[in-house]
Amino acid sequence: MEKLLNELSSECQSAYGVECDVAIDAQVPENLKRGIPLGLPSITENDLLRHFTNLSKKNYALSTVFYPLGSCTMKYNPLINERIAKNDAFNNVHPYQPIETMQGTLEVMYELEKDLCEITGMDTFSLQQAAGAHGEFAGLLVIAKYFKSIRQKRKKIIVPDSAHGTNPASAAFAGFEIVPLKSELDDGSVSHDKLKEVLTSEVAALMLTVPNTLGIFEKNIVKISKLIHDNGSLLYYDGANFNAVMGIVRPGDMGFDVMHINLHKTFSTPHGGGGPGSGPIGVKSFLEPFLPVPRVEKKKDKYVLNYKKLKSIGKLKAFFGNFPVILRAYAYVKALGGKGLKNVSKQAVLNANYMLAKFKDKINVPAGNRCMHEFVLSPKPLFKNDIRTIDIAKRLLDYGYYAPTIYFPLIVDEAIMIEPTETESKETLDKFVNVVNKIILEESCQELQKLKDAPINTPVRRLNEVEAARKPILKWK
Amino acid sequence: MDYTPQNQKDKKQMFESIGIGNIDELFKIIPSHLKVKDLNISGGKTEQELLNYFLNIASKNKKLISFRGAGVYDHFIPSLVGEIIGRSEFWTAYTPYQAEASQGTLQAVFEYQSLICALTGLDVSNASLYDGATAAAEAVLLALRVGDKNKILISSGVHPEYIQTVKTYLENSKAKIEIISLSDNGRLDKNTVDSLTDYNTAAVVIQSPNYFGIVEYMDALSLAIKSKNSLFIVIINPLSLGVFKAPGEYNADIVVGEGQALGSSMSVGGATIGFMAVKKSLEWKMPGRIVGQTTDRDGKRGFVLTLQSREQHIRREKATSNICTNASLNALAACVFLSGWGNAGFSNLAETNISKARYAFAKIKSLDGFKAKFENETFFNEFVIETSKNIKKINKVLLKNNILGPLDLSNAGDNFKNCLLFCVTEQRTEAEINRLVELLMKI
Repeated sequence: MEKLLNELSSECQSAYGVECDVAIDAQVPENLKRGIPLGLPSITENDLLRHFTNLSKKNYALSTVFYPLGSCTMKYNPLINERIAKNDAFNNVHPYQPIETMQGTLEVMYELEKDLCEITGMDTFSLQQAAGAHGEFAGLLVIAKYFKSIRQKRKKIIVPDSAHGTNPASAAFAGFEIVPLKSELDDGSVSHDKLKEVLTSEVAALMLTVPNTLGIFEKNIVKISKLIHDNGSLLYYDGANFNAVMGIVRPGDMGFDVMHINLHKTFSTPHGGGGPGSGPIGVKSFLEPFLPVPRVEKKKDKYVLNYKKLKSIGKLKAFFGNFPVILRAYAYVKALGGKGLKNVSKQAVLNANYMLAKFKDKINVPAGNRCMHEFVLSPKPLFKNDIRTIDIAKRLLDYGYYAPTIYFPLIVDEAIMIEPTETESKETLDKFVNVVNKIILEESCQELQKLKDAPINTPVRRLNEVEAARKPILKWK
Repeated sequence: MDYTPQNQKDKKQMFESIGIGNIDELFKIIPSHLKVKDLNISGGKTEQELLNYFLNIASKNKKLISFRGAGVYDHFIPSLVGEIIGRSEFWTAYTPYQAEASQGTLQAVFEYQSLICALTGLDVSNASLYDGATAAAEAVLLALRVGDKNKILISSGVHPEYIQTVKTYLENSKAKIEIISLSDNGRLDKNTVDSLTDYNTAAVVIQSPNYFGIVEYMDALSLAIKSKNSLFIVIINPLSLGVFKAPGEYNADIVVGEGQALGSSMSVGGATIGFMAVKKSLEWKMPGRIVGQTTDRDGKRGFVLTLQSREQHIRREKATSNICTNASLNALAACVFLSGWGNAGFSNLAETNISKARYAFAKIKSLDGFKAKFENETFFNEFVIETSKNIKKINKVLLKNNILGPLDLSNAGDNFKNCLLFCVTEQRTEAEINRLVELLMKI
């Protein structure tokens, strides 16, 4: 067990210090002065290095294990991108320094926006949003503002029940009412008839994830798009699963009006244990006036920032966006080029289908024999003796794998959602499939206790989440 | 270079297993008239070419000695921070859904939460938000969830981009925002706050040090706010807490701020980190991830994501926020940053900021054509100077000498015509400050 920082603290020389080369002159009035202790630990650099290095070893990470976390696109994060992002010439830029002294930074942003337009078929992009959900929120605000501008009262957003939880949460955040749409049971697709039933004149937009969260491409997309637009509504594309279709098909061509994309998924930027991410939004040109400010523009050979957009939804955060993430994504695009990006999606889909082919005769796959970049297993019919998907997931940790996404999408019982990505070798996929099959088909029947006891090879054994929520301990004692 | 490992032999075997002849069969479901031929994007660069390509782009940025702050600050980042956030076990992990396999990230975030609570004097911290501006917006939304009041008061001393962000977030809500003007002395007057706060005021948002660098008299302001049962939302510079009163001491309900100063680089203002801490009574209304301590089956201490029934993946449209990805790696950086100073060292860091800023302040205000805008107020590392000189010219001359000069405040309201906002952190040496003064003198 690794000690906590307050337990490591002692009367020692702390790791860092600062020398003040002018006279210390820091008296402040009593009523402004801190009266309570700071409560910070005192630890040497040597001990801190050990502490945090030891902590890092308690993580399963993409750099140590296969990480088939469905919907999260845990692909290899190229090291060259990290090297580029470490450059102080990018990191030491102040957001309010004159634009002529930050042309390199603006060039990266401008050029990535341009490339994203080509990749997605949208007309223009904004990079300001800090994450996928932040992008959804921005996109929905753009939709709200657009309808306000043409004086239409449309307060509803249709969200399929297979969608990520962020979709309805973002729509509610943006002030909309949510109209849930029941997906087709087999493949999670949108039923034309059911959509028609809920599609009233109050509907502002339909949010779709394509391919959907079962890994299936929306085969009726052309019809859906027509239906939505004939109703005067807009179509929103959740780009969480964009890794399946780069260079194959573009949201802009399918009729989507607004989309977000997760640079920390499709464009290989690392997840950092949960961020920072980046969620650019793309729109068709009629929505461009509503995008967040400032916009990066190019005037002759100079990049400039334009704040003068009267119809803009305003600012989504301070300054311009998560630049280091944007920079890595742009490096990725420049490494791959159009051809490489297309190959990425082909390989991602090939890898997923290969795994699916190896599972499908043994474990129930509700959405059928083909998928795009990910697929969902429902092993429930095979479960005996109160075995559950959580037990499979925990047992996988014992075999040295991060677990797939579980219990999502909500429309599949005991779901196991697997996304291999394109950067994994056939050998890795083979081994993983064998282990999953062994756990579900053999161990869950014959060695039940192993699953119930799992994990045993991790730094801690199964943790008590109920206790954590019932009697919350959220900081050191 | 596309980072895909399969060779032709592998692919052939995979085709056979799937029962297809070529890869395109997997895309049959997509209507053919929608399919893209080729993406017109240059690329295909090798690692070496890529490195040179970006070195060239980077060279178009200019390295400057910064006397500018206004929300993003040039602070020293200890080597240990880079070493730890550079460990791939941290930066290539995902949000810690599988707790048993994510104890590194989870314990680090738990430590981060503890450190934020210690610093602010509040009870509960979340795992991080995107940045200071969105943290302010989330704080306001939190306050609106507490009761059925719908008025929000915001000090005009709050960073203008934060105010804009709050407005964006509230665009389609029923809440009304009113701005409280600062007094002529550059800070809020408690009587003004008292008269504007009413029983329909859900929260009052005050930044200290405010946008103009001045430390607000939070005790008195807090009393005025509390007398109407409104929530007190404080936006704070975390480094200033090494010297100045902790929000917990003046009964703040929600504390948020920008954590860039705690070990994250400026990076043109992103990716940074928003922090949030609240009183215990508000913990279930908090947005974002929270890590809690628990035990495993053998009674061993461990950490998990907790109070999750507030969140979007469970509550969907009824969640306290839509946030999913946050700023976890920056939280790790802040944790490593805050754990290495000790109490005395951290106070010394804050005092060094104050001392250097005061040193510069004294010299600049005594120059011909420059005077203190708020002579007798207390500031942290930023101060306002009024000048009779041409501001554009000042910054042009400084820039020529590789100095990023003060921020021109002409757009910050009538009271700030001909005003400059200087920032001096511990990074600026005596020699650099003297050089700045020398150049200003010659203008």
